[in-house]
Amino acid sequence: MSTVIHYDIVVIGSGPAGQKAAIQGAKAGKHVAVIEREPAVGGSCVYRGTIPSKTLRESALQLDRMKRSSTTLDMQVPPNLMVSTLMRRLDEVVKSHGDYMMNQLTRNGITLFHGRAKFLSDSLIEMLTVDGMKQTLTADTIVIATGSRPRAPIDIPIDHEHILDSDSILSMIYLPRSLTVLGGGIIASEYASIFAALGVQVTIIDRADRPLQFFDAELVRTFVQSFEQAGGRYCGGQAVRDVRWDGISQVMTTLQDGQVFASDKMLVALGRQANLEDLNLSATGLTVTEKGALAVNEHCQTAIPHIYGVGDLIGPPGLASAAMEQGRRAVCHALGLPEGHSSGIPIGVYTIPEMASIGIDEAAARTRYRGVIVGRARFNEIARGQISGIHNGLLKMVADPTGEYLLGVQIVGEGATELIHVGQMALQHAATIDSFVENIFNFPTLAESYRVAAFDIVGQRQKRLASNAA
Amino acid sequence: MKTETDQSQNIDMPEQVERALVERIDKDRIELPVLPQVAGRVMALANDPSADAARLSALIHQDQALAAHILRVANSPAYMPRTPIMSLQHAVAMLGVNQLSEIAVTISLKSSAIQVPGYEADIQQLWRHALASGAYAKEIARLRRYNVESAYLCGLLHAVGKPVVLKAITTIATELHIPLTPSVVLAFLDSYHSRIGIMIAAEWSLPSQVAEAIAYYWVYEQAPSHRHEAMMTCLADRLATYILVPDSFNDSTLREHSVFTDLNLYPDDIDTLLSLKEKVLNLVDTMAQ
Repeated sequence: MSTVIHYDIVVIGSGPAGQKAAIQGAKAGKHVAVIEREPAVGGSCVYRGTIPSKTLRESALQLDRMKRSSTTLDMQVPPNLMVSTLMRRLDEVVKSHGDYMMNQLTRNGITLFHGRAKFLSDSLIEMLTVDGMKQTLTADTIVIATGSRPRAPIDIPIDHEHILDSDSILSMIYLPRSLTVLGGGIIASEYASIFAALGVQVTIIDRADRPLQFFDAELVRTFVQSFEQAGGRYCGGQAVRDVRWDGISQVMTTLQDGQVFASDKMLVALGRQANLEDLNLSATGLTVTEKGALAVNEHCQTAIPHIYGVGDLIGPPGLASAAMEQGRRAVCHALGLPEGHSSGIPIGVYTIPEMASIGIDEAAARTRYRGVIVGRARFNEIARGQISGIHNGLLKMVADPTGEYLLGVQIVGEGATELIHVGQMALQHAATIDSFVENIFNFPTLAESYRVAAFDIVGQRQKRLASNAA
Repeated sequence: MKTETDQSQNIDMPEQVERALVERIDKDRIELPVLPQVAGRVMALANDPSADAARLSALIHQDQALAAHILRVANSPAYMPRTPIMSLQHAVAMLGVNQLSEIAVTISLKSSAIQVPGYEADIQQLWRHALASGAYAKEIARLRRYNVESAYLCGLLHAVGKPVVLKAITTIATELHIPLTPSVVLAFLDSYHSRIGIMIAAEWSLPSQVAEAIAYYWVYEQAPSHRHEAMMTCLADRLATYILVPDSFNDSTLREHSVFTDLNLYPDDIDTLLSLKEKVLNLVDTMAQ
């Protein structure tokens, strides 16, 4: 492996962002290579992130449904289940997803290299294979999609045995009796609610007074209520002074105010860090931001025009869905192809219950407009919600002050991440609030919530008009 | 005595000894180990009012036989766990420190040491190898984000059959008046320890991860359910040999093994593991005392 191989596009990393970038390039008829450091494609999303956590979540939901049915079906859920039992389908799911992604790359004629990439210059990449061989590649366009890893604060002794991060949390063989979660972001909230649903005593500790700060406060209150009903505890406005494993059986967490929490395990979920260190970016002249991310413009283009950065390594939102779109758009931009128009990226948070958002929320709308109208539909007032026993759902539609145009939708409750796409399409096509009233929804469905919320807006609009007329 | 399988190949084992050994294995006449290395200290500690749980837990962690016994007892119908107890930490969490002390003392009282006259140094070397393998297995698991607790047990117990084989063949050889050279002893250990280890794993109802690591660590590609544990154990065993028996193989030979690529460990990952040599040796020296 000594000759230099040239490609039109080289993508470093095969996670959601890299994969979509590569496929977009191949679809455009380009000669594309992907360099992946792991033996299989898919990145953290498949092996340590989205797919495994959602598989565990699905098991937690099934158990929850069984528990709720137990009064009528006399079913008992074992109180001390092994994680592997809950993740039994994981290998199958991961393999299917990995195979699908591999087939997609192969079918599109994309060359896959297994190795670590590092820049020798802004157009030369050296790939080191796992057995120490080297190969040099050049490309007209280079897409960096190396993803991120959990941030490891230096003052917290993460040992992946008792004090774990989101990469190692699912290596646990048995469910702990108690779990302390540091952090109040998406990953922290998702795992906290999943483990709480599985019967683990979960305590979230975070500096903020509520988790998921970027999300609609009313929805977050609903989430926290559900979390606490499941036995969880949110300990907000707290700073951690010290974390240590007691050497026997407990992780001891001491807060600045002197409170001490003991738990079998701890999950440290205090953000993520871009995987850029191994790339030798200095050879390209590129630098990283203060937060350790790669700076890019709206086309995901770095300061070096033929090098793009996509996915987690460019910073928020750090969602697989956004990463895929960034990958596609970056390559479209590099090739001079139209990038298309989008109504924005939907945010899906796989807590229990789920949360989702598209467009702007109530707080953002109120800072931008005077007198926005917010319509609400509670799932326990919807027939399908009653039938399915979903009592903790809420859909909010945010309309402009005239009450005619949709600005955003936020949902908490099971099915939120699916339901949000109705709002997304409505925003994309500038649908009016009345169109939700005038169109027929299947009955009984949770999607009917849109209609109920729209009626709420229409009612408020009429009152406002009447009030103004008077 | 070396502990590396490669070096025992092509050694002719005395036929009579081997036949007798196989017969004893087939007829379940092999005496399985009941020697906790630190049994005496556990007993002393348990009777010491000032002793704390941390010291007890640390002591138990040092002894492969005792650790396995505790897991066996903790998993027995007497304690009726809902699911198998996989680790000492789990045992502590599930049973509580007092009950664990009780189990440890009970086991200690019932246990009798495996002593092989004339082979004390070899037994000690096997013990050091087990400790180093356990320590390295933990580090590999940390690096690859696999379960650290089960990795430790896999490493610690993967060659649990070796002292048993050693005792059996030396007993047989003495009975038959057949001398055994060190290379022949090594060949016997390497050829039969997994088989005996599987028997021990079954007898003690060891967790399936540990049982598979014992059975498949040297042919990990055949491991049916716990390939990662078998791979980590294979590498831990190899690294333990490398640091404990410096003339076993050199750095480049060490790196040639396919287990590194199968675990997706790049050259700098291997450097990281090798840089832990002093840490592991210190741990072994401390625990083996």
